[in-house]
Amino acid sequence: MNNFMAKIDAGTQTNSHASQGGFSDFHNKVHFWGRITMFGVVIMTLLLPTYLSYVLGLHPGWSVILNGFIAYGAVVIPLWIVEPISYYPVLGVSGTYLAFLNGNIGNMCIPSAAMAQEVVGSEPGTKKGEVTATLAITGAALVNTTVLIVVILGGSAILGILPQDIVDSLAFVLPAIYGGVIAQIAIEKPSWGVIGIIFGVTMNLAPVPEALETFLAIVCTVGAIMLLNNMKSKKNNE
Amino acid sequence: MSEVLSVANSWPLWIIAIVVMSLVYFQSIKFMLLGSKAGESVGMTKKDVRAAIRTGAYSSLGPSFAIVVVAISLISILGNPVTLVRIGIIGSAPVEAVGATVGAEAAGSQLGGADYTSIAFTAAVWVMCLGGIGWLLVTAIFTKSLGKIQAKATNTQVKLERFKMISTGAMIGVFGYLGAKQMVVGITESLVLVVAAIVMPILIVVANKYKLGWLKEWSLGIVCLVGIIFGYYMS
Repeated sequence: MNNFMAKIDAGTQTNSHASQGGFSDFHNKVHFWGRITMFGVVIMTLLLPTYLSYVLGLHPGWSVILNGFIAYGAVVIPLWIVEPISYYPVLGVSGTYLAFLNGNIGNMCIPSAAMAQEVVGSEPGTKKGEVTATLAITGAALVNTTVLIVVILGGSAILGILPQDIVDSLAFVLPAIYGGVIAQIAIEKPSWGVIGIIFGVTMNLAPVPEALETFLAIVCTVGAIMLLNNMKSKKNNE
Repeated sequence: MSEVLSVANSWPLWIIAIVVMSLVYFQSIKFMLLGSKAGESVGMTKKDVRAAIRTGAYSSLGPSFAIVVVAISLISILGNPVTLVRIGIIGSAPVEAVGATVGAEAAGSQLGGADYTSIAFTAAVWVMCLGGIGWLLVTAIFTKSLGKIQAKATNTQVKLERFKMISTGAMIGVFGYLGAKQMVVGITESLVLVVAAIVMPILIVVANKYKLGWLKEWSLGIVCLVGIIFGYYMS
C-alpha cells in the first residue's frame, strides 16, 4: 500500500508539467458530456408537455401557455442568466454542469463542495479545488436523486407516519447548513466572514430586485475583500 | 381531480421521467469517473478522491430529506412522474409551485381546485418545463465561454491568486446572503444558525486535533441533525 501511495506521489510530481494537458483534457470531456446530458434533458422536458398537448389532445392553446409563461418568466428569466455567472467562480466548469442539472445549488451543491475542500485541503478557484468540488457534487447528486426516487416511489407513506412537528423541523436544515458553512470559512478568514454577513443582511433588507440579491451580495463581498486585501498589501509594502 | 391524476400518472409520463432521471445519474457517474481520473493530475491521491465523494454524499443527506418533504406536497397536484422530473432537476419546489399555479390560472382554473382539469394540468406542465429549460440552455451554451474567461484570468500566478480570492469571496457572499435570508425568517431560524456556527468549528477543530477524517466528512450532516433537534425543541 505504501509502495502504491509512493507511486501516486511520484506520478503527481513528474506529471506537474503535463498536468495542464491532463486538466484541459478533463475539461474537454466535461464540456462534451455536460452538453449532451443538458441538451438531452432539455429535449425530454419539452417532450413531456408536447405529449400531453398533441398525443393526448389536451393542448390548452399557445396564448394560455404564453400568458402563464410571461408571469412565471418574470420570476425565472433573470435567474437563468444571473445564477450561472454568479456561481461560476465557486463551481468551475465541471461543477456548473452538475449543479445546474441537479439544482439545489445553494442548499446542497456548494455546501457539499465547501466541506469536501475542507476535508481534502484544497482551495476554491484552483484546479484541485474544482476537481474536489466536482467529486463532492457527484456524491451529493447521487444520494439526493436516490432519496427522491425512493420517496416518490412509495416512501411518501413513511413520511405520512412521521408526526407533523418533526416534518416541520426538517426546515431547520437550511439555517444549520448556512451557519455551519459560514463559521467554517470565517475561522480561517474572520474579516472576510464579517464582510459576507454584512452584505448578506444588507441585500436582504435593501429594496433590491430579488433576482439580483445573490448576485449583488457576491459582487459587493468580492469587491470589499479585494479592496481590503489591497489596503493590507500596501500597508505591508510601506 | 382523479381525471387529472390518471393522466398525470400514466405510463408514458413515467417513461419520460425515467429517461430524465437516467440522464441525471449518467452525468453524475460520468463526471465522477472523469474527476477521479483528473484528480491525479491536480495532486489528489486516491484517498482524497474517495474522501471528496464521501463528504459530498454525507453532506447531502440533510438537504435531501428537507427537499423531499417539500417535494411530496406536489405529488397530489402534479402526480408522481412530473414531480420527479421537476424536483429531480434544477428548480426548487417553491419556485416550481409558482410556475404550476400561474400555468393553471392562465388556463382559467385553480391548481388542485374543483375546476382543475387535465388541460389546466397540461398548461401548468408547459409553464414549469419552459421555465426550467432556461438554466439548462444557458449553462449548456455558455459554460465553455466562462471556462475560457477563467483560463485567461488565471494564466499567471498573480492572476491565479486574484481568482482564488474571487472564488472564496463569492462563496462567502453566497452563504452570507443565504444565511441572512434565514435570519430574517424568524428567531428560531436565527438561533439554529448561531448554534450551527458554534458546533461546526468545534467539530472541525476536534477532527483536526485527533486526526478524525470521518468526523470532518460527517460534520455537515451532524450540524444538520443538531439544527433539526435544536429547532424542534425551540419551536
